[in-house]
Amino acid sequence: MMSESARMNSAAEARFRVQAPNSLPRSIRVIALDETGEEAVTRLAGAAWTQATFLTAASTGGALHDLAGHVRTVEDEVKASDLVVFVAGPGGRAHAVSRIGEACSLERVTTTGLIVGAGSASEIDLSKTLAQIRPWSLTVVLSKNDDYIDDMLTALRA
Amino acid sequence: MLRKEQNDLLTQTGPGTPMGRMFRSYWIPALLAEELPENDCPPVRVKLFSERLLAFRDTRGRCGLIDEFCAHRGVSLWFGRNEECGLRCCYHGWKYDVTGQCIDVPSEPQASGFAKKIKLRSYPLIECGGVMWTYMGPAESQPPLPEWEFITVPRAQTFTSKRVQESNWLQAMEGGIDSSHVSWLHRGDLNSDPLFKGARGNQYNLSDARPVFEVVESAGGLHIGARRNAEGGNYYWRITQWVMPSFTMIAPRGNHAVHGHFWIPIDDETCWAWSYDYHPVRELTSAELAAMRDGKGVHVKYVPGTYRPLANKDNDYLIDRAAQKAGRTFSGVEGIAMQDASLQESMGPVVDRTKENLVSTDNGIIMARHRLLRAVKAFVDKGTVPPGIDPEHQKVRSAAIVLAAEVPFTEGAREALIARPAVAPASV
Repeated sequence: MMSESARMNSAAEARFRVQAPNSLPRSIRVIALDETGEEAVTRLAGAAWTQATFLTAASTGGALHDLAGHVRTVEDEVKASDLVVFVAGPGGRAHAVSRIGEACSLERVTTTGLIVGAGSASEIDLSKTLAQIRPWSLTVVLSKNDDYIDDMLTALRA
Repeated sequence: MLRKEQNDLLTQTGPGTPMGRMFRSYWIPALLAEELPENDCPPVRVKLFSERLLAFRDTRGRCGLIDEFCAHRGVSLWFGRNEECGLRCCYHGWKYDVTGQCIDVPSEPQASGFAKKIKLRSYPLIECGGVMWTYMGPAESQPPLPEWEFITVPRAQTFTSKRVQESNWLQAMEGGIDSSHVSWLHRGDLNSDPLFKGARGNQYNLSDARPVFEVVESAGGLHIGARRNAEGGNYYWRITQWVMPSFTMIAPRGNHAVHGHFWIPIDDETCWAWSYDYHPVRELTSAELAAMRDGKGVHVKYVPGTYRPLANKDNDYLIDRAAQKAGRTFSGVEGIAMQDASLQESMGPVVDRTKENLVSTDNGIIMARHRLLRAVKAFVDKGTVPPGIDPEHQKVRSAAIVLAAEVPFTEGAREALIARPAVAPASV
């Protein structure tokens, strides 16, 4: 007699997988921490995302704004998030990460740190940003290609 | 998740497909040298990238990989007679050399030159480090020979096995770079498997099941660092290497051998899981070799006379629910390799990635797909040579290392991530 696994692992049986959605939408905040990050986030915001909100803490002394310049509260944004993605460039100008990261830590919100422009940066500049975002990120990604963030957000169903 | 067309692009590797064409630009492991043990030995069927081929070693020791079927009536040459520098079809006696060139058609006058007009598709087949490698791309683009460290160390320092996995290559390979599953699926084996146990690093693994990940692009692929807390505020890093398209090297443990895999498509629903163990500076002990042959570590026990795992889908992977309940194994399946394979095969022959829900710790997998998609597009559109072909990309090592908290692993482990002859691996 054919085993359970032999029967169920087949392509024929794969057709009977439940087709109903298996997850609820996740709310993702993508936050620029410096000017390089803001460039990337502004570009991203121009695409059609359904679950992502794009914010910046780059040029306003650490305060959080949406891309239209409206002030947002860190605590409110974090509370409304399932995942916060930090976006920063090399050079160690991601100072705002500690305040937002602390809020994420308090609310147990998962964080990902993404360093853009890593392909052409010096090790010293990369290290400076890494030192800032590492304590606050469950996962850190150094990508040579800035379009990685598009693929990452798509993969995460943003 | 991946869109359906992206999933199809990455998982389909047959002749003419974009991914199949890119895979064929690399030297890939085709069979073990032990499968062609002597001149004029029996030929071996080999299926790669959905092409049925036949490997044989002729009277003078030359090896070849040719179309499995005779050009005359389509008979399998597996039944052929390997004799006098060629493989003779048993049906009507047509004979082929290792390049696939027909060298004798007994029914035709030799002077007619008919045999010269018959040539089977063939690929080069070379032995290196106990593995027979083939290159299936255009002859004019043949790259330099492979220089992976596990095939360049002395033979007494290395051991390689292979097993059939009944799933698409990509879901198998993605398991090899998914570091976050180790603390769960394999937790029962870290302190019991003879090829793993005793390493100080195991305790870091077991005491911290929620590592922090850093994914960094390398020249040939990725460095995937998993960070756990160590003594004195330091971090214990386990750094996995992935080199495109499908080579992985897992971080070592203590003074054990270093191990990893190649994942090579047989067709779109089956792949070869190649598993190697080697030590850069010492010979493998007889106890280690015995354990590897007995299916410990990343290797498996076989159905006798085959490379099919003894625990397979036909016997429900010999799942032991009592062992699962007692905590001796997390999944009830014995052995690291089959713990992985059983779950990956359960996804179905080609998993539907439109339905998956990836999380932040899956960035290694997301990045690998990103790099594969970019590389295959550049390869098809512009003929760009993909990463991993340059032998310098192959001279890599994984590492297990304790670093100060402020040191990026790419800096602290820079030397450790490069293969250097006669230098011990960085391992805890």
